[in-house]
Amino acid sequence: MTLLDVEDVTMRFGGIVALDGLSFSIEEGHICGLIGPNGAGKTTMFNVVSRIYQPTLGSVRFRGEELLTVPAHAIARLGIARTFQNLALFPTMTLLENVMVGAHSQGRVGFGKAISRISAAGDNRRTRDDAGDLLHELGLGHLAFVPAAGLPFGTLKRLEIARALAARPSFLLLDEPAAGLPHGEVDELGHTISTIRDQFNLTVLLVEHHMSMVMSISDRVVVMEFGRKIAEGTPSEVQNNEKVIEAYLGTTT
Amino acid sequence: MKSLFTIKSGGAASWAMRLAVAAVLAALMLWVPTRGSDSLIEVCTTAFTLMAAALSLNLLLGYAGQISLGHSAFFGIGTYTTAVMVTRWGWSPFHTLPVAFVLAFVVGVLVSLPALRIKGVYLALVTLALGMVFPQFIKWKKLSWLTGGAKGINDTGFKFTKDNPTYEIFGWNPWGNLRGQNVKPFYFWVGAIIVLVVYLICRGVVKSRVGRSLVAIRDNSTAAAVMGVNLPVTKGIVFGLSAAMCALPGSLSAIRTGTVTADTQLLTVAGSITFLVIMVVGGAGSLWGPIIGAAVYQFIIERTGGWTEPDAIPALFRPFFGWSKTAPGGGLFAIALILLMFVAPLGLVGLWRQHSVRLCRVVPKPAGTTTISVMAAAPAAVDETHTA
Repeated sequence: MTLLDVEDVTMRFGGIVALDGLSFSIEEGHICGLIGPNGAGKTTMFNVVSRIYQPTLGSVRFRGEELLTVPAHAIARLGIARTFQNLALFPTMTLLENVMVGAHSQGRVGFGKAISRISAAGDNRRTRDDAGDLLHELGLGHLAFVPAAGLPFGTLKRLEIARALAARPSFLLLDEPAAGLPHGEVDELGHTISTIRDQFNLTVLLVEHHMSMVMSISDRVVVMEFGRKIAEGTPSEVQNNEKVIEAYLGTTT
Repeated sequence: MKSLFTIKSGGAASWAMRLAVAAVLAALMLWVPTRGSDSLIEVCTTAFTLMAAALSLNLLLGYAGQISLGHSAFFGIGTYTTAVMVTRWGWSPFHTLPVAFVLAFVVGVLVSLPALRIKGVYLALVTLALGMVFPQFIKWKKLSWLTGGAKGINDTGFKFTKDNPTYEIFGWNPWGNLRGQNVKPFYFWVGAIIVLVVYLICRGVVKSRVGRSLVAIRDNSTAAAVMGVNLPVTKGIVFGLSAAMCALPGSLSAIRTGTVTADTQLLTVAGSITFLVIMVVGGAGSLWGPIIGAAVYQFIIERTGGWTEPDAIPALFRPFFGWSKTAPGGGLFAIALILLMFVAPLGLVGLWRQHSVRLCRVVPKPAGTTTISVMAAAPAAVDETHTA
């Protein structure tokens, strides 16, 4: 079943065309790699799907429903969660609190309940325990009460994944999760991503520059260049595609 | 960092400490109005007014990160709502408190509408304009039938008549002698209750899902929206709630002083700045910060209030303040603020948190239902020094 359907999405910033009639779709349960040279429009695509950008043209459907009419804050409740390329954590909060905010879409305690204390304590306990469990699963349990500011980049990248998982998503967008990681940890992260996909029944859209990782864990790979899709297929199909080789290595002529 | 004691959060020792603090506070609350001097009661009541106002600003600025220099206007809305309803429509002063709360909430939400699109220094300017316009609006000639114009309104206070009898518990009168001249303990109690209510509202909000979303908006609003925080609605409500809470001490000041004018310091922009400075000195983004800040502020103002003649100034301070004909309390507090920004940017509460670790470390309850790492994925070597 198709989970996400991107159709003819065009995004212009003034004179720059960041996305140019981009179309692709993702099957439920797949890990879909989105690759391309720098500036190809991958992060723009992410921001369109997570409703930070409103595209100029086109449509994005999630489970058959149009996503572009939904406000940004309602995305999480639909089951879409994402991480950020350059970290968008809450630096003054501890790791545990960061993950607890990630579960915001799961809670129902508003101002009224918070002030009157109705069901607030139970909500806090559940959220806290869930967040603690997630941190343990991602190997960050021992840092639960440490503020996020100042921790190593790789740790914070992992925290972003934990925070995104706290929303109990069905669709997870990972924006360069391995960027800045030492080589040994990249494979380990790839392993983590496949494991959480199975454990949480996720569909994953993965933007990444570490080709070995993308090729080893992706079911499908979409290749972009200058805002357009130049190839799509299984990792081995894409690796042998001439256009892809050209985009990455240039031609000999 | 080594600490002398280590106690578990939620454990017996932690509850004992909380109880001890509560007991000391309760004892003070009983001792001051019954045994304290009139001037001490008066000072404490003024401090309560500032505490409640600074607490309300703290929820908006300290937690949600939305600056407001217009809180004096919300304070003034409380003052004038009470004054107008008591003198023109004959309401009992304390019945006007909920009205002031609701009115300030509505105005706060309305002010937040333009504030939703702007942040930082622009929001500061818009709210500053509100703070500056408010006294002028009150003094506007066409409104003088309601607000009394520049002359203000008299007789806004609580009338102690036979209909408002005193209560006695075993011959001891907790309210003070209401029928006689000494009504100060009564206002002390009202002030304490207002601080308690505002504190409990703030605490309930802060220690909940909403409170976490406020800090998330402050730290990274884009990420907060992606997590599902409805930015416009949350900002609007927190703006309104903060304004509403700020109106309560405003009402109290009308009930207490009996006379209101638009030029009262706390109703002008100077009031907004006072609330802001108190919050910052005490510790922005902490529940106790504004309370401690207001207490320290009022203490300094009171201690230096008589320093208008060189002879009245203690010898140590005479070379610094002997030339001044006005009390240097505000200036001293400003100097304290500048010094604190270097020593403890997070205020007195931040300073306490930083150094109390040496004496006693509170270990949080473990979070989660399991303590075993399921994936056993070893993260990058991170040692505990990051806790420092």
